[in-house]
Formats: sequence, C-alpha cells, structure tokens
Amino acid sequence: MIGVGKIKQYTNVLEKPISKGKQEVSLSAFAFLFSELVQYNQTHVDNISELERRLEDAGYAVGARVLELLCHREKGNRRETRLLGILSFVHSTVWKVLFGKVADSLEKGTEHEDEYMISEKELLVNRFISIPKDMGTFNCGAFVAGIVRGVLDGAGFPAVVTAHFVPMEGQQRPRTTILIKFAEEVLQREARLG
Amino acid sequence: MIVCVAVVGQQNNPLYIQSFTEAEDDLKLHHIVHCSLDVVDERVNNPKRSGSTLNETFLGLLYPTENYKVYGYLTNTKVKFILVTTDLDVRDADVRNFFRRFHSAYVDAVSNPFHVPGKKITSRTFAERVSNIVKSFRLSSSG
Repeated sequence: MIGVGKIKQYTNVLEKPISKGKQEVSLSAFAFLFSELVQYNQTHVDNISELERRLEDAGYAVGARVLELLCHREKGNRRETRLLGILSFVHSTVWKVLFGKVADSLEKGTEHEDEYMISEKELLVNRFISIPKDMGTFNCGAFVAGIVRGVLDGAGFPAVVTAHFVPMEGQQRPRTTILIKFAEEVLQREARLG
Repeated sequence: MIVCVAVVGQQNNPLYIQSFTEAEDDLKLHHIVHCSLDVVDERVNNPKRSGSTLNETFLGLLYPTENYKVYGYLTNTKVKFILVTTDLDVRDADVRNFFRRFHSAYVDAVSNPFHVPGKKITSRTFAERVSNIVKSFRLSSSG
C-alpha cells in the first residue's frame, strides 16, 4: 500500500501544516521596498526638503506603532518618564528590533543642553543607496529619523530629529548621525523631576 | 460582570467605547467612564508614592460607585483603558490578565497601517476580540 513504512507524504500541498516562519525579513526584500518608496516619493515632489519631509512622515507612522508594540511585548508594561530612560530605550531596544543590533553610540551634544546624537557606522537603510552629487546633503536616513521622532512623540517627549552625514577620516563612507533636539517643555519637566 | 470597556486617547478623546449590558443606560456608563478620567489624571500627576509606582501601567481600582467598580490602565503612549464592572469580588489578578489581553488586541488594532492615530478604532476584528475577552472574563470569574 502507498505510504506504509514511509514518512507521511502530503498528496496535496494545501494539507501541509503551515510552518511558524522566521522572525526576520530578508534584507534584499526590505532594500527593494525602501528603494521603491524613495523613488515613488521622488516623482511626486519638486525639491529635496519636501522629499526628506515625506520620508520622515512615513517613518513617523512606523515609529508610533513600534512604540506601542515594543512596550507591550518587551518592556513588561513599564512607562518611561525620564529622558535618559527613553533615549536608552530607543538606542538599544528599538534598534535591536528594527535592525538586529544596538546602535553604535549615544552621545550628549556639547553645544546645547537639549541635543543628543545616536550614531551608526552605516545605517541599514542607506546600505544600498548612494546619493548623487546634485542632491547635496540629502540623507535617506530621514526615514529612520522619522521613526525615532514617532517613538519619542508617542512617549511624550516632543523633539525635532534629523539625520546627518559626518565624514570620518580614514573611512570612505561617512558615518550617519541622528540628531535629536528636544522641545523646551521636555527639559523643563526633566529639571522638575530632579 | 463587565458592563463597559473604553479606550481613551491622549487628549482624553474617546477611541472606542463598548457596553455589554442589555439595559439602555449606555449614557450613564459613558458618564462614569468620563468621570474616571479625572481620577486617572490625578493618579498620574500626583503619585502617592514616587518611585516604584511612577511607571506602573496598571492603575488599579479607580473609584467604586454605588453598584459599579471602575479599573484603569495606562499605556506608554498615554492611552487609557477603562473597565467598568458590577462584580463585587473580582480578583486583582483577573483584572490584570484582562488588561494584558486587551492591550494585546489594542496593539494589533493600532498596527494597522490604515488606522489614523487619534481617530476612533473602527476595526471589526478588534471588536470581536474584545467581546471574546469579555466573555472569557465573565466565565472565569463566575466559576
């Protein structure tokens, strides 16, 4: 008889049990999707700052949802009320879930009290992108800046977040820095909490 | 027995209100939910014991009225879940469990890319999941 003494073969592919699947998405699929996102926005705008703003808005929506999801899943339902707390949350947990590793470094700005910087040797979204010379200082990391802004805004820390290239000596590709500038009320609240 | 659950947004705007009784006093339940928002704000802004309870999400029993008990829960994005129940001997652990599952359903509803944050939650899946959670709570607490 067919099937006796052998492993069970499914005659119909529809009867196979669905596998749980991996928790990761392939890098090439994401890079393809992101390049399509950038190209789509490029055909709809007239100038660079508009393009940057659109990418940032797209990231903002992602950030708001990521915050809800991560707080429920990973952090055991604790709320962040301190500045350093939310920054280290973004720097480690959010980065780990989105990009598979923690960010390279988190620094406090020296000129102003309200500036913080997260830097990364090479942002995952920028890995397959090279900016043409006539686009000036445009950085597709504006998408990641939007994600960070979405997370901070949702948690109650309004901020202006931008992405910049910082040329490093001895390396061909410049380092990317996400600059976070908190609003005035955040600093006042932080000072009040002591 | 749970009579009403509500999700209230950051600016105290209602995102989802659902009552589970057959009686027609929906308006009274909405009014109770609205009054409990004040208690939530008071708890958040003036913590009785600063430190351990400053970041807790489960706020506990907000206030008991004549025949209802109101429980509150605050998420990381200042979104509040309010639960109105008529049970007199409901256990703390049951309510925490309920809020955990409710939070799960809420996160799934918000992850929808077509959901605009700040607008009402219109997903039917969310409504079904909430009514399932309420039903299982009813069965577990009466057993």
